[in-house]
Amino acid sequence: MTAAAARAARETRSAPQKIFLVQGEFRVSNAPDLVISTTLGSCVACCLYDPFARVGGLNHFLLPHGESFEGPEAVRYGAHAMELLINGLLHAGAGKSRLVAKLFGGARLSPHLPDVGGANAAFAERFLLHEGIVFLGGSTRGAEARRIEFWPESGRVRQRTIAGEDRELLRAERVVRPAPAEAGTIEFFGD
Amino acid sequence: MPAAALLDVLIVDDQASTRHLIRSCLTQLGISRIRECEDGEAARELLRTARVHVIFSDINMPKLDGLGLLSAVRASPAIASTAFIMLTSRADTALVQEAVKLGVNNYIVKPFSLEVLKKKLEAVVGKLT
Repeated sequence: MTAAAARAARETRSAPQKIFLVQGEFRVSNAPDLVISTTLGSCVACCLYDPFARVGGLNHFLLPHGESFEGPEAVRYGAHAMELLINGLLHAGAGKSRLVAKLFGGARLSPHLPDVGGANAAFAERFLLHEGIVFLGGSTRGAEARRIEFWPESGRVRQRTIAGEDRELLRAERVVRPAPAEAGTIEFFGD
Repeated sequence: MPAAALLDVLIVDDQASTRHLIRSCLTQLGISRIRECEDGEAARELLRTARVHVIFSDINMPKLDGLGLLSAVRASPAIASTAFIMLTSRADTALVQEAVKLGVNNYIVKPFSLEVLKKKLEAVVGKLT
């Protein structure tokens, strides 16, 4: 292919598809033209990637915070959010033993409020350790919100910091309460 | 039915964190005879020689999933009557319906609370205390 033909091919290639995640959502894909983005304050996003299967996924979660950020309800909710992402990746052909992770978010946006972000980041780090998933790094804690872009087919991640009062941040981190643990969409047993 | 202290329970889940959470809940309920397997195949192998009263199993697992394990348990005369509680996500409705057809005793939607786990377990084995 000549240089001109290569340039023409680049120019005619369709623009990358972009998906924006809000709190409580996750997405898995192996599409080379897809970018998954999200905006994080105290929430945490985990990028998981299988370099062999070339499939990746991103979630965006905030632990429910009551009396204790590390209480059993918070841990159950966080573990479930991570499990959904991992199961999505396994269904897409990833191998759990090959997964590598990067974490972002968990900022403390106000020094006058409890460190919810730090608790979210600590949970995610502990989860990766318990599950034996290789933690490559990322960017967590600090005082600034972040915008993340993740290319799931390559595992590439790009981050930039944003102002804490950004409208997009407020939209992404709007309070999405986890459904009550007792809830179920179906009932088969009369108990 | 055996009281909590006499119950033998098997937890089957590929996620170590979830196994740890269930173990923690069971321990709070006074259950200490707990075994763990990380997938259905390992559980099926264990059940060739070991006997338990209750199996808590995830649906989505590598090698042999929860439905496969449930089928294997129900097809094995020696362990066919073992109580089987499936752990599911909200999106697993069709899989739960399949599990019901296969003879599951109950199911728990994740994320679950200690109270829900206790309620579902007692619905299957009777009062724990």
